[in-house]
Amino acid sequence: MERIECKKIKEEAYIEKLENGMKVIIIPKHNLDKKYIIWGTHFGSIDNRFIMPKTNEEVFIPDGVAHFLEHKMFEQPDGTNSLDTLMALGLDANAYTTNNHTAYLFECTNNFYKGLDELMDYVQHPYFTDENVEKEKGIIGQEIKMYDDEPGWRLYMNALDCMYKDNPIKIDIAGSVESISKITPDVLYKCYNTFYNPSNMIMVVCGEFNPSEILNEIKSRLVQKEEQGEIKRIYPEKEKGINKNYKEDTMEVSFPIFAIGYKDDEGINRDIVKKHIAIEILLNMIIGKSSEAYKELYEAGELLSVPDLDYEFAEQYAHILISGQSKNPNKIKQKIEEIVEKYKQKGLEEEHFNRIKKKTYGDYVVEYNSVGNIARMFLSDSMKNINSFDYIENFNEVTKEYVEEILKNVFKKDNLVMSVINCKDK
Amino acid sequence: MNYIKKDIKKGVSLHKINTNKFKTNLYAVFIATPLKREDVTKNALITSILRRGSKNFPSQDLISKKLEEMYGASFDCGIEKTGDNQIIKFYLETINEEFLPEQEELTKKSLDILFDIILNPLIENNGFKKEYFDSEKRNLKQIIESKIDNKRAYSFERCIEEMFKNEPYGLYKYGYVEDLEKITPQNLYEQYKKLISNAKIDIFVSGEQKDDSILNIIKENEKIIKLNEREAEYIENKENTNKTEVKETQVVEEHMQVAQGNLVLGLNINTEIENAKFVASLYNAILGGGANSKLFQNVREKQSLAYTAGSTYRRQKNVIFIRCGIEIKNYEKALNTIKDQLKDIENGEFSQEDINNSKELISESIRSINAEQDTEITYYYGQELSDNFTTIEEYIEKINSVTKEQIQEIAKTISINTIYFLRD
Repeated sequence: MERIECKKIKEEAYIEKLENGMKVIIIPKHNLDKKYIIWGTHFGSIDNRFIMPKTNEEVFIPDGVAHFLEHKMFEQPDGTNSLDTLMALGLDANAYTTNNHTAYLFECTNNFYKGLDELMDYVQHPYFTDENVEKEKGIIGQEIKMYDDEPGWRLYMNALDCMYKDNPIKIDIAGSVESISKITPDVLYKCYNTFYNPSNMIMVVCGEFNPSEILNEIKSRLVQKEEQGEIKRIYPEKEKGINKNYKEDTMEVSFPIFAIGYKDDEGINRDIVKKHIAIEILLNMIIGKSSEAYKELYEAGELLSVPDLDYEFAEQYAHILISGQSKNPNKIKQKIEEIVEKYKQKGLEEEHFNRIKKKTYGDYVVEYNSVGNIARMFLSDSMKNINSFDYIENFNEVTKEYVEEILKNVFKKDNLVMSVINCKDK
Repeated sequence: MNYIKKDIKKGVSLHKINTNKFKTNLYAVFIATPLKREDVTKNALITSILRRGSKNFPSQDLISKKLEEMYGASFDCGIEKTGDNQIIKFYLETINEEFLPEQEELTKKSLDILFDIILNPLIENNGFKKEYFDSEKRNLKQIIESKIDNKRAYSFERCIEEMFKNEPYGLYKYGYVEDLEKITPQNLYEQYKKLISNAKIDIFVSGEQKDDSILNIIKENEKIIKLNEREAEYIENKENTNKTEVKETQVVEEHMQVAQGNLVLGLNINTEIENAKFVASLYNAILGGGANSKLFQNVREKQSLAYTAGSTYRRQKNVIFIRCGIEIKNYEKALNTIKDQLKDIENGEFSQEDINNSKELISESIRSINAEQDTEITYYYGQELSDNFTTIEEYIEKINSVTKEQIQEIAKTISINTIYFLRD
């Protein structure tokens, strides 16, 4: 087992690549009653076209399959549902699907090994029938409708539509009522057999564990599976530039909401962690709590609170999103553009930069307050080949000059978009 | 127990939670006052004005800058409704000094800022600073109006409002737009002075404390020294329950442009049995507590009527709310299925296994309280507001002692007070 350490915050992690290709990450914690485990497959809503390694068959699947599969994994041949079984043990169990991965998890203080039995059993034993697939369509149909009523979700999807012409990130994670109607057990089995192979999976555990003991417990519950070759995923070619710079919609909201995006054409590079830290610092300098832009907009009643600041990235996409609520989204966009230009020309102020850098350091440390946060962070970072400790370890390498360079490369006027949801006339 | 309470003066207490599970220290100040229509909007407004700036930190960006320098300490405040009290909450979280890249003192700095914001407001012409007053009034109006944005939360709020019409608990914690108009910087400052000198004030500190220095830091703070002793005005939450008058179910329907219908039912529990609140907790868990509950299994899984189906027990008020997101045309069917579940529990159609699962579900959530600093603080504050202090161990014990007969007995006393439906 490889051991990595983060001395500044007194944390360590053990990493093992098993013979079957699965990666296991163990983050031991002391004096904690709570244990957390998460098992993820590198299969998300964007993986809609691929070649199955064993048969060389090219498969093109309807939107929403990864999420549908997640729902169906819980169903067992004896009619029981694994989520119920886990909950009956008093475990807090769940699963979720993102753009690039699907994860199954539970947390508990008691009954960890009973939970581990169940988790590793259901994730390794799919059971899809015509009947149980049909039934699920009703439930997921309701979930899709719930999202349709959420202005925040529509805002986000429209922002993506502005930034990308043809990119699978635009696919709604749950799909549509129409697309899921095409899902069959056969499609689900094809995806399961391809993506739920151990070589495409990562498991993370966090809590009071002895690393080699827990590793053996995990190994002993693994089903032998044939080694498969690399999964070839087919994506549309990456586009430079944006699709359109503005999109608006009308919904029942009391005040307009906006999402301002900068599409990042460059995306993941060797220095992605450094780059990510730099972008977080920049976003806070531009429109964070102590920024002059926020002060001005807040005092003018244009903003009620600090907008959500996000940098989302994976191999296939990368963009910044600044989203919030305002009567006047255009004013917010203008102000941001103005500040970005000013910083580009005059450079960043030393005192301001250092202060925000300190704040960003604190934000990363706080992530280590809960076993759940730690495990989820290690899983999603590992899906992108990132070691989470690097966010703390590489911190000092992020200089003002480097951040100014990122500002010029990423915050490009031509890649700026805005999505707005307006209020319905009353 | 890692929890100690110390009185600083009459009506003002320090609560210390010693824990080494976190990278942070969390400081909280809670101000409790009875919910009243004439005060609720004012108190909400006071909270948001205070955070704009104090005498020593006169603007929000100065406060923010100060906090950023402290490795991004975070300050937050908010309004809650706990039983018949309106609670004004202030939090400050800092990195524990052990995990800083360089040595620095943060505890005293944190408490100085926190107390200054709450107890040393920026005053001009015998009122709050006009500029902050005006913009916060505008913002609060927007917050109250944006209540409709989240349809699920809105429906829940509306059901509570209908169920507790003309009672303190039916009040909206952020107040009312029509009441905002009558507030001036001066009459609001009067309300502030009244609040600070009469309300119950509790200070919580959670984190690793090697010694008792924190008590002295607080006692020696000049803003704390200036606070008067008080016979704190607040509504104590009663551990024992009372019988209430059973009324005919009221049905409220509201229309909005929605794709999904939101159905919320408010239930009364009409009993005086001992430990009723623990029995009701278990009843609620069986009815709609999780994936094994009757509602989830029957409304969502068996009939595919809903994506969300569950229930919540509001312990302080001893009431249960059932919440479902359903297809609008399925209203009757969903309502009948829900009523069937209530009847089933009454008739004892649940197993010992259901009871054990529910006990484990609740115990697990109680055992997890110490895994989050604010959750642990909230638990002990709940005990502080109650007329009966229950430790975490006692809580689990009482949950485990509930019997099937007690659950059935309580089920028979349950009546539907309000049915609220939001539809197109």
